[in-house]
Amino acid sequence: MIDIRDYEAMEKLSLSEAERNWVSSCAELLLKSFDELEKIEADVDPLITVLDILNIFREDVAVKKVSREEILSNAPEQYDGYIQVPKTLE
Amino acid sequence: MNRVVLEDCIMQKGIPVTAGSKILENFISPLTATVVNKLLDHGNVIVQRAKMYEFGIPNFFTDDSDEIPEAIKVVKDGVADYSLCNDLFGKYRRNAAETGCCYIHPTYGTVSRFGLIPLVSSMDQIGVVCKSIPEGLKLLSQIAGNDLEDGAMFPEKFYDYAKNKQSISVGIPESIVNKADQETQSAIKEFAEKFNSVNVDLEYFDVYKQVMMILSCAEISNNISRYDGIKFGYRASGYKGIDDLYIKTRSEGLGVETKLAAIMGAMVLSKNQYTPYYEQATKIRRLIKESLRFDAYDIIVLPCCISEDPYENLSLFALPNLVGLPCASFSYKGQGIQLIANVKNENLISTAWEVCMA
Amino acid sequence: MKYEVVMGLEVHVELATESKLFCSCSAKFGAEANENVCPACAGMPGMPAVTNKKAVELGIAAALVTNSEITRTMFFDKKNYFYPDLPTGYQITQLFAPICRNGWVEIETGEGKKKITLKQIHIEEDAGKLVHDNRTGTSLVDFNRASVPLVEIVSNPDFRTAEEVVTYLEKLRSLLSFAGVSDCKLQEGSMRCDVNISVREKGSDKLGTRTEIKNMNSMKAIAAAIEFESQRHIDALETGSEVLVQETRRWDDNIGETFSMREKENATDYRYFPNPEIMPIVISDEWISAVRESLPETAQDKYIRLTQKLGLSEYDSSIITGSKNLADIFDETMKYFNKPKEVVNWIIVELLAIAKGDNKGGDDVKIDCKKFAKLIELVDNNTINRGVGKKLLSLVWKEGIDPDVYVKENNLGMVSDTDMIGQVIKNILTMHSKSVDEYKSGNQKVFGFLMGQVMRELGGKADPQVIKKLLTDLLAGK
Repeated sequence: MIDIRDYEAMEKLSLSEAERNWVSSCAELLLKSFDELEKIEADVDPLITVLDILNIFREDVAVKKVSREEILSNAPEQYDGYIQVPKTLE
Repeated sequence: MNRVVLEDCIMQKGIPVTAGSKILENFISPLTATVVNKLLDHGNVIVQRAKMYEFGIPNFFTDDSDEIPEAIKVVKDGVADYSLCNDLFGKYRRNAAETGCCYIHPTYGTVSRFGLIPLVSSMDQIGVVCKSIPEGLKLLSQIAGNDLEDGAMFPEKFYDYAKNKQSISVGIPESIVNKADQETQSAIKEFAEKFNSVNVDLEYFDVYKQVMMILSCAEISNNISRYDGIKFGYRASGYKGIDDLYIKTRSEGLGVETKLAAIMGAMVLSKNQYTPYYEQATKIRRLIKESLRFDAYDIIVLPCCISEDPYENLSLFALPNLVGLPCASFSYKGQGIQLIANVKNENLISTAWEVCMA
Repeated sequence: MKYEVVMGLEVHVELATESKLFCSCSAKFGAEANENVCPACAGMPGMPAVTNKKAVELGIAAALVTNSEITRTMFFDKKNYFYPDLPTGYQITQLFAPICRNGWVEIETGEGKKKITLKQIHIEEDAGKLVHDNRTGTSLVDFNRASVPLVEIVSNPDFRTAEEVVTYLEKLRSLLSFAGVSDCKLQEGSMRCDVNISVREKGSDKLGTRTEIKNMNSMKAIAAAIEFESQRHIDALETGSEVLVQETRRWDDNIGETFSMREKENATDYRYFPNPEIMPIVISDEWISAVRESLPETAQDKYIRLTQKLGLSEYDSSIITGSKNLADIFDETMKYFNKPKEVVNWIIVELLAIAKGDNKGGDDVKIDCKKFAKLIELVDNNTINRGVGKKLLSLVWKEGIDPDVYVKENNLGMVSDTDMIGQVIKNILTMHSKSVDEYKSGNQKVFGFLMGQVMRELGGKADPQVIKKLLTDLLAGK
């Protein structure tokens, strides 16, 4: 079984034991299959975006799309126009 | 006036949009997707939103091919003429073909993704569930075309899918087709007889699934990091401090398949594994793109199933997503097949469909 | 001195765009919390990133003024970490192909010119702001700043003294603000500086333990933080009182010390990867030339123009070119009133004095240059006297009055009718015949008194030179 807890921490997840066992066993299978890739000689540049198009831009014009209330109304907790979260600094 | 169903990953202003997830419960969309505005502009009617499994991430290890997504059921049962969804891993293509419907996956960058809940940004593409390919392309022509709100699109404002080509040549990857069951093999053979056909060797086919999996998980883990209980959607209760809020919210709010994708994504992007996994996959992605020979054939034919193992089958559906090609799946002689064409050549797929159905 | 301090700088500068880097929200400073926020920069799904062209152009400008090698095909990357001020859970930045590399900036030090070399400049989006609220015991998130475009200018460890650091920052501020890249205000956070610092024995080529100091929002604070932190390193090396660890430390300006930031430092893996939503950006020769040609005059060129072509003093010219804002006010005012010496004099003597009264410096002065030019002209052509001009300036500053209209409506124009002035003087002389006698018997001092009486009678609206002449003549019995 591979230890996935470091990755859980990176993803801000804490898996139950059952979940961890399943994810870990799947990860093991997948990683084993991924090892096939190293056999392929790939001396080319990465392909990140499949469109052969460059330089897509927007002009620098400010437009207001939605009101502040529409943004804040989705927040689980808000206070005085801000989104409220537990203290981040001691 | 067409009746259209939207899968729950396509946003409509003022309406809850969850992409099938718990973590987006309570999320009210602040804007409407460009495709929805275009549909309405053309006089179509949105009849319903279709349920989906969380973010459209399937279970890669359990065969669930008999669980038909609602977006397909509604077209099959005649509740709607069309539905729109985002098929990344082939489930919709396979299920549509196996239930007698069609699925059109358009060329990447031709349909706006403004208002589509993102999953794998380099592959996400809204597709159409329909009754026939030419009909589906009619709807597609209404929603396709450049949108300034999506930074990864071709510049064309409109696409003409009605263009015809006299004779179509099809590429048959025989070694892959031979893995399908007998009925599918003979259906594809019959299909091929109606065209000039050539044998195709799809180099790297055996690692399509790995490349697909690595790139998808990396992008999924990134795209779902916005679901954290801070700004919208689900926030767990009883947390102690900010870190606990994150962990409780995400652990309670995300399903196990999504958690697997997130953890695999973290793995392949982490410092020590970036080069052998993520970067290697992006390089092979280029090799795959360069290995195709659309000068030797117009379309590639593939079955919709070669194995009981969904992970094995993933290779069947990866090519259009990895390279951004148009693809359509449908039932031919009772068997699910799919046709893949070069970029912006949806019309060739349509022509082939008409020839074989004639 | 046995030790040598080695420092490298990471300077964040907010780009002077109207809108944000990847969405069209306003990028202006000072709005109500969460006013400049849309679904995209609030981290909501379904909002693809579309790059602001102006931000890339300002990045090219930053590359040009720092003599950097521009990357011809650049792209953006994603940096993953969770923090409440980061709405999407990732920051769009540049790791693999930043906009430029290998630049340099020349500074003047006590020991002559020194080249500070730059590792790279990259474009990235800013994070939001967290306000720590004591009433509720919570933190409050404001996304106005989220996704505002920045460049981060990363230097090599070329600095040895706090003075060099401050001189470099002043130079960067001048280069970038005159090029229109940023307004570079430390107080508003549009220019921020992190200092990487280590101390080693002189002559050693091994670097000591490095710490990074953040949260300095003035040049004074930067110098003080460097002073404190380098002394802390030296003490640790000398006495062994403390073991130095590689960490990020926060400067507290009130206490005057740096403090360890315990958060998110331990082995963070940011899982950088190329952003697949944003197409690569190719920067052509033509584009670079176009940006180069559109670059405004540098502070240095402006200084040369002011001293050599306009004949202004070195002192005045250095004040004007020390602030992009003052230089703009000068140029703009000159468009309406083309007497450089008068304009500079009014800016340096009067405008800055008024601004100071409002606690503002040269960078924050704002004035309607057309009205400003008008009132300088009114004084210059003797329509009003200088004292009235000063009063008008403060009214233009506070209330935005139109000097022309105001002078007419309030009858502030100078009396130029010498017959009328002569009559007033005669009346005054009659009223103060005693003083006239004193003057005639040799007491020159009463001249000032009589002058003052005449001025008061005329309400300060006559040219003192004219009064002086008429008064002298009349007293002499002419």
